[in-house]
Amino acid sequence: MYRYDDIDATLVRERTAQFREQVGARLSGELTEDQFKPLRLQNGVYLQLHAYMLRVAIPYGVLSAAQLRKLAHVARTYDKGYGHFTTRQNIQYNWPSLVDVPDILDELAEVDMHAIQTSGNCIRNTTTDPFAGAAADEVVDPRPWCELIRQWSTFHPEFSFLPRKFKIAVTGSPADRAAIGVHDIGLQLVRNGEGEVGFAVFAGGGQGRTPMVAPEISSFVAQRDLLAYLTAILRVYNLAGRRDNLYKARIKILVNDLGADEFTGQVEGEFARLKGGALTLPQEEIDRVKAFFTDPPADDRPAVLHPSAAFSRWRLWNVKPHKVPGRAIVVISLKPYGGTAGDASAEQMDVVADLAEQFSLGEVRVTKEQNLVLPHVAEADLAELYAALEAAGLATANAGLASDIVCCPGLDYCNLANARSIPISQAISRAIEESGLEEAAGELTIKISGCINACGHHHVANIGLLGVDKKGEEFYQLTLGGIADGEAAIGKIVGKGLDPDHAVRAVITVIRAYLDARTEDESFVQTLSRIGFEPFKEAIYA
Amino acid sequence: MRNDAAYALAEPPVQNANDNAAVEIDAATPFADAERLAAGADEIAIRFEKFTDGRGFSLASMLRDRGFTGKLTARGDVLPDQAGLLRRAGFDKIASDIKPQSPRWRRRHFSHAYQPAAAGDEPAYLARARAARAALVEKLNHEYADASPEAIITAATRAFGGRIAMLSSFGTEAAAGLAVLARIAPEMPVLFLDTGMHFAQTLTYRDELVARLGLTNVIPLAPDKDELAAEDPEARLFEADTAACCDVRKVRPLARAMASFDALITGRKRYHGGEREDLPPFEFDGDVVKVNPFAALSAKEVAAIYRTLKLPAHPMAAMGYPSIGCWPCTAPAEGDGTREGRWAGQDRTECGIFDPRLKERAARTRSYRLI
Repeated sequence: MYRYDDIDATLVRERTAQFREQVGARLSGELTEDQFKPLRLQNGVYLQLHAYMLRVAIPYGVLSAAQLRKLAHVARTYDKGYGHFTTRQNIQYNWPSLVDVPDILDELAEVDMHAIQTSGNCIRNTTTDPFAGAAADEVVDPRPWCELIRQWSTFHPEFSFLPRKFKIAVTGSPADRAAIGVHDIGLQLVRNGEGEVGFAVFAGGGQGRTPMVAPEISSFVAQRDLLAYLTAILRVYNLAGRRDNLYKARIKILVNDLGADEFTGQVEGEFARLKGGALTLPQEEIDRVKAFFTDPPADDRPAVLHPSAAFSRWRLWNVKPHKVPGRAIVVISLKPYGGTAGDASAEQMDVVADLAEQFSLGEVRVTKEQNLVLPHVAEADLAELYAALEAAGLATANAGLASDIVCCPGLDYCNLANARSIPISQAISRAIEESGLEEAAGELTIKISGCINACGHHHVANIGLLGVDKKGEEFYQLTLGGIADGEAAIGKIVGKGLDPDHAVRAVITVIRAYLDARTEDESFVQTLSRIGFEPFKEAIYA
Repeated sequence: MRNDAAYALAEPPVQNANDNAAVEIDAATPFADAERLAAGADEIAIRFEKFTDGRGFSLASMLRDRGFTGKLTARGDVLPDQAGLLRRAGFDKIASDIKPQSPRWRRRHFSHAYQPAAAGDEPAYLARARAARAALVEKLNHEYADASPEAIITAATRAFGGRIAMLSSFGTEAAAGLAVLARIAPEMPVLFLDTGMHFAQTLTYRDELVARLGLTNVIPLAPDKDELAAEDPEARLFEADTAACCDVRKVRPLARAMASFDALITGRKRYHGGEREDLPPFEFDGDVVKVNPFAALSAKEVAAIYRTLKLPAHPMAAMGYPSIGCWPCTAPAEGDGTREGRWAGQDRTECGIFDPRLKERAARTRSYRLI
């Protein structure tokens, strides 16, 4: 894991002190709420329906056990004893009071954490594959690049007041797992013909009310030129992105309006000026950051078998192949049947921190599917780890299955929402469990958003649900066929909105229709593209 | 190196400044127009209608990037909380609509930066790389103080693989160093400053050596055509100002080429005298590492290499030229290894490519990076 040097630590402390002063200026009235709002947002403080919300950055989803314990401490001391892991690998607290926020930030700074740029119209937390540095299929470890981007994007003198928020995702694996196609910038680590490592660059993807898959704008940018290339993209966007309409301000609209070729031409023009200049990353700095991210040692103890069927099911779905012999990646599902997606209590966080120390070299990851990951578990320890997770209620064996639902906070917390997301997600989760279909269906994604801003990523779900408000009543619009990772695709609306009960039944109906129609090994999207929408539509509206 | 006042404003903010000297543009001004207006202007004021409209930050940064050195003023709706960012983006004056008397305007901003910026801040990655590079050079000098040229080149190649080149004048002593290099790393780039002013003999000799030693990657560095057209259109600049001639034909072309390299092997030796008398095997000037594998050789040892490897001599060596550069500034001289015949009659013995001050100036023209 990356560890702060004096420069990093000093900057976080200075930002915390600055924010304390900004809160003081707001409370004294020197700053109006209109002036304070963009400033607090840049430090992760939202005003929600019932209270302030604080979003804490978990850079590229990587946590140490000590950091997770601190997050548990914050939940216990300043909030209601739990936190909510988000689809951008961060954590948010829904009930802190504004006057406590500077103290929370001081506590976080003790473990190299902060809330810098977790909101606002600036460059947000860079996200990546939660299995980075561990996945068996990884080409290049993306974490050093995420850290380099984190630093470059922090307190940027040019890009702190962009037309709209800006999100960058990096992957080092062909399987993606970071949804790079639906980010403002997606970076895929690749090797060119000479074996040199660099980046394929995608720009202008996004979800929200105008979902778009990003076109590739460069097939190879050399490592040392990455910051110059990113700067060129951001300059074009900052000057030309729309500022007259909040809903048309993201870079995807600019790329779409200009056309990918014209946009790319403008970026390349600016890049030609910047290339070879002060933005060139020195090899020493690349090497320094890379040195923090090493492979764990192999483990040659024999794997211990566990006789129970429950363990076998968990082993099948929640344990993923590791690049180092004798190790495995373990997904800890935060999706108990009928639970709230992504919520974790302080006690659960402490348990996971302990288990990370005992079994995973002290490391934890947060996934965009709102689960936790122990990335470096020895195969020999899996049975013991399973028993410990089961005792803590954290052994739900549904990673990647239909009940591993992604869900935004919805109208229960969020003042943008049109409908609640959590209750319908809970009902669907229970219905899936009762149907007994999910193991047969295998990997299948369901994602729910309470409004068109699509924080629940419903556009890129195999089965997506969008909450809408019709004359004060909640309805849910179903989309089918979305894909988040790899060849990203936007789902299509099936038909008119459904009331909550019908929506829950419809999800089960769709799963059943898929199981009836699929041929061997066909994924949901493959079956859908073979047989078309009609069979699903007929089953839902029958 | 904490600089507590790093981003404090040079002057306190002024309220509702109405300074007609400035050309005012608003945030929506296309950059091409801003650039056109800035040409020849002493002061540009950028108006912020809303403090959340960040276009002014890019306009300022890009104007500074393209060399605008006049005064830049941020006018309108800007907050004290933005003062540090405005300063970093290249503004040196703020004319804010709001509360210029607030002590928050005087607040110290961050003491470090992660990005290069118009205000000239050194980004963290450069500061760290510079420290790492300096430490590496110290370590290498310690380990290779008395090492052979072969050992020093091997160590340098290991430390800077793919980012190292050799510089050669193809002069009177060049063959010895090139022959050593050809045996260890014939594929290493060899940079040759093709000034357009070389003796014909030097060019012939270069081609002969390259073929004979099997060097596969000789890169000639020519002066920039536009710069020559502007500064030395008649190719007579050397008559008026030899230093300016070296600058356009040697210093800047090398500086540009060095954007691709972190280390440069030179053929300099201590017996050349002058500032070369204390030359260590590795040098760091805050930017590029210079590797001097032959520094400790004596003139006799160099001559021995020529004899042992049966290397041809530069055709002009026998004509009384111990050191050879461009023809206008090279004269015969007495004594092996002396540079007395270079810029004879002038108070200089170096062209300036090894002078960090000149390199820094080249960097300010943004033709190349530092580190």
